[in-house]
Amino acid sequence: MTMKVSFSLNGEPVETDAEPRELLVDVLRDRLGRTGTHAGCEQGSCGACTILVDGHSVRSCLMLAAQVEGCDVVTIEGIGSPEGLHPLQRAMSEHHGLQCGFCTPGVVLSAIELLETHPDPSRSEIERWMSGSICRCTGYSGIVDAVSAAARGRVR
Amino acid sequence: MTDTATAPRTDTADPGAGPASGDDAGNGVRRTEDTRFLTGQGNYLGDIHRPDLRHVAILRSTQPHARIRSIDTTGAMVLPGVLAVFTGEELAASSGRFHHHLPLIPTLRQIQWSVMAVDKVIFVGEPIAAVVAENRYIAEDALELIAVEYEDLPPVVDPEAALEPGSPLVYDDWPDNIFLYIPGSHGDVDGAFASADGVLRERFVHHRVSGLPLEGHGALGEFDPARGRLTLHASTQSPHMLRTTICEVTGLSEAQVRVIAPDMGGGFGVKNHFMREEALVALIAMRVHYPVVWQQDRFEHLAAGIHSREQIHEAEVAYRADGRVLGLRVRIVADVGSPEIYMMGCAPSVVTTGVLPNTYDLPNYAFELQCVVTNKCPIGGYRGFGQPQAIFTIERLMDMLADRLGMDPVEVRRVNLIADDALPYTTVTGAVLDTGSFNEQLDELLEAVDYRALKEQVAAERAEGRLVGLGIAQMVEPTAPNLHALAGQYGGFEMCMLTMQPDGRVTVHVGTKSQGQGHETIYAGLAAGVLGVAPGDVEVHDGDTAVLPYGMGTWGSRSAVMGGGAVVKAAEQVRDKMIAIAAAMLGAEPGAVELAEGMFRVGEAAVPVAQIASAAYLHTFLLPPGMDPGLSVVVGYDPGNTSPFPDEQGKLNVAATYATAAAAAVVEVSPNDGTVTVRDLTLVHDCGRVIDQFILDGQIRGAIAQAVGATFYEELRYDDGGQPLTTTLLDYTVPGFGDVPETRIIHRETPSALIGGFRGAGEGAIIVTPPALAAAVGDALRETGVTINQANLGPQHLRRMLREQGVSVDPLAAAG
Repeated sequence: MTMKVSFSLNGEPVETDAEPRELLVDVLRDRLGRTGTHAGCEQGSCGACTILVDGHSVRSCLMLAAQVEGCDVVTIEGIGSPEGLHPLQRAMSEHHGLQCGFCTPGVVLSAIELLETHPDPSRSEIERWMSGSICRCTGYSGIVDAVSAAARGRVR
Repeated sequence: MTDTATAPRTDTADPGAGPASGDDAGNGVRRTEDTRFLTGQGNYLGDIHRPDLRHVAILRSTQPHARIRSIDTTGAMVLPGVLAVFTGEELAASSGRFHHHLPLIPTLRQIQWSVMAVDKVIFVGEPIAAVVAENRYIAEDALELIAVEYEDLPPVVDPEAALEPGSPLVYDDWPDNIFLYIPGSHGDVDGAFASADGVLRERFVHHRVSGLPLEGHGALGEFDPARGRLTLHASTQSPHMLRTTICEVTGLSEAQVRVIAPDMGGGFGVKNHFMREEALVALIAMRVHYPVVWQQDRFEHLAAGIHSREQIHEAEVAYRADGRVLGLRVRIVADVGSPEIYMMGCAPSVVTTGVLPNTYDLPNYAFELQCVVTNKCPIGGYRGFGQPQAIFTIERLMDMLADRLGMDPVEVRRVNLIADDALPYTTVTGAVLDTGSFNEQLDELLEAVDYRALKEQVAAERAEGRLVGLGIAQMVEPTAPNLHALAGQYGGFEMCMLTMQPDGRVTVHVGTKSQGQGHETIYAGLAAGVLGVAPGDVEVHDGDTAVLPYGMGTWGSRSAVMGGGAVVKAAEQVRDKMIAIAAAMLGAEPGAVELAEGMFRVGEAAVPVAQIASAAYLHTFLLPPGMDPGLSVVVGYDPGNTSPFPDEQGKLNVAATYATAAAAAVVEVSPNDGTVTVRDLTLVHDCGRVIDQFILDGQIRGAIAQAVGATFYEELRYDDGGQPLTTTLLDYTVPGFGDVPETRIIHRETPSALIGGFRGAGEGAIIVTPPALAAAVGDALRETGVTINQANLGPQHLRRMLREQGVSVDPLAAAG
């Protein structure tokens, strides 16, 4: 049994089939082809699948697709492009805030919500806010540097 | 051998402002890889789409040790959406088996195993049956409809108990649970102990952890029955060797199998093993004629992936009153869990025995290694590969010896370090150290932290009642190894195919496989430097066995040395041919041609690189008479230097070159909750010529995070009955934001004699950091009577140790 789910995805209206039990991360990846959202643990503890729903970061592995009916969903594909990176994406590269890239989309979206709500966070505020993401490659300092630099760029 | 001056350095002086060699999209990224990873355009295994893709889910043993009495798959087979169900017995009857490729080790039990369990399971999580279905949801539903009847057998869980007479046996037809036994004795160990002023004895426990890449293993198989060809996408560090393994199991030839390793969400050594599931996917693809995919979930990764490091060391040090170590004896019991994994899970433990003498002039050394099978997940490699255990033990022993003799930890090391002018130095186990000014490196570390002043400051704080401590450690590490004697086919060469295209751009294919290390960026820089083009003009590809004849992959801190060396060697061959073409065009001798800034010059006359490139393909009439067209080479590169098999005395030298590091840590332990705050961490690091300090520092910081994780956060645990207790990331906790200390990194550059002057870089920090942290914790707890003799210094362990010493521990006080 499938159902129809309609929502805004990266600013475009979409309607998709989904099983009632189908996770949002699976619908985004498998039905809608937005594979930038990664499934790292499927139990809400690694943060790789973090996206924005109505402006708030959520783990798309802990949400059913049916729950985003009528919502505004933003995935990494909606943030910057190869030709025009978001300032935070540029800062992530400049500060070596990524290596394998698997956690990166979730990290970027989580940080974007932070910067939308706290334009000039301290390092410890960044660390507290970002604590929902696990990165196994970088040791985190490059990510904190990047978020900090992106925030300063905006304040300036 | 290449003059090191010809090997380019992308940057060293100002890492932050290095050339943006990855600036393909003109967007200012620092690494080539970054653009796709930052925009969600990476292509990881799970991102590969096929319209008719079917999904494999695997039924796994719930029992640690049991006979399988029966498997009833009827319920699964009739579930709508299920395409096929396979049991271990069915596939074993029609496929080849895995083995370890180590026929020459007389004390290793030669075993073979199939893609799934047959008759008997030996750990929780072992594959029993596989379902193929329209989607993963249905496939996993179907698993619940398979009925397995087990006859439970007593589990073997504790490796020391497994050695006791009368222990249950993991394998009925073995006399005991010993998988590999290696004794070794070098020098006159008994004489050393007889003449010693004293003997220090200690037992060290190294706990079970995992590299835990954020993306697990996985494979997608596609079979073309008309041509008999299989394509297997797999998240693997060694695609070519996976192909060889897949051929053994499937019966296909290497010419019929193509393995593609796409972008990888980490590896850390875990993905350097060939999983039964990867071959299972291949076998299923050959049988169902649909593309099929299996992607390891987090439970599978933690319960049935690759574990690492579990060892117990019983060490004895014979010493002289002045601190000189006369002899060392270490008995190692290594828990390898289920041994049914290639590469063999004992390989890191064999490395442990080889590197225990570390940086010390230690002529008398004996060891005994017992690798024990238990009913637990297979043990395998993880960044550091047996060295973290060895260096932790020897460095702890040095600290304990210093304590016993009332010496400073620095002084006891000074007495024992290999002399700076002794190089090359052959260690007691046969390692030929081509580097290691250990005294000078230690001086640099001590100066950087102002050791004397720091020690006084720490002592003063401790006098005020605070649990503050200072510790140091040092290590030498075999890198770019040849592991034929202990890991099977894992040898010491690499290959590269380099093509100068007709438009002057360059395509490079390598046999190493980046898991996030930035290989595309560094190899492009290396090739560009030789060929006189911009790094952005070089496209680097890895992970495709259809393009390059072979490669060993990425492991053992080998990619810069072996992969980088192969790239430079290939680029030089192409460059030399271009010089010959330029010389003919300019009417000069090749020796008179200079290459700079994209131009081949003889005096005032010049030809651009792109013009030579086009001549080689499109205007071949311009080539010197008799020269073959094209500008493309396939090179193999084996730097040699190794004697990979043990000689009659058991000595061997596995590494092409060695790297060194030293670390100093200052910590404060909370007496209330047992947590440790790392106040300062300083690392001196020498991996020879630095290719790209920005990327190197990232490798070091990541390794430190994993070192901190294994020391304070991580442990894979089992209950006494063999059930895994850490199968989610809520149980297996890794460091998060705010948990990894800032680290000062000081680079020394002692070039190796190999191409480019490179030494291995990826593992030193994960090896040298834990013993420095442990030394600092030991120093902080000095007055409490706590002895730090285990690698796990998590708060629950420190609280226990403090309580055992009668120290009142009150976690509520910490909570304020």
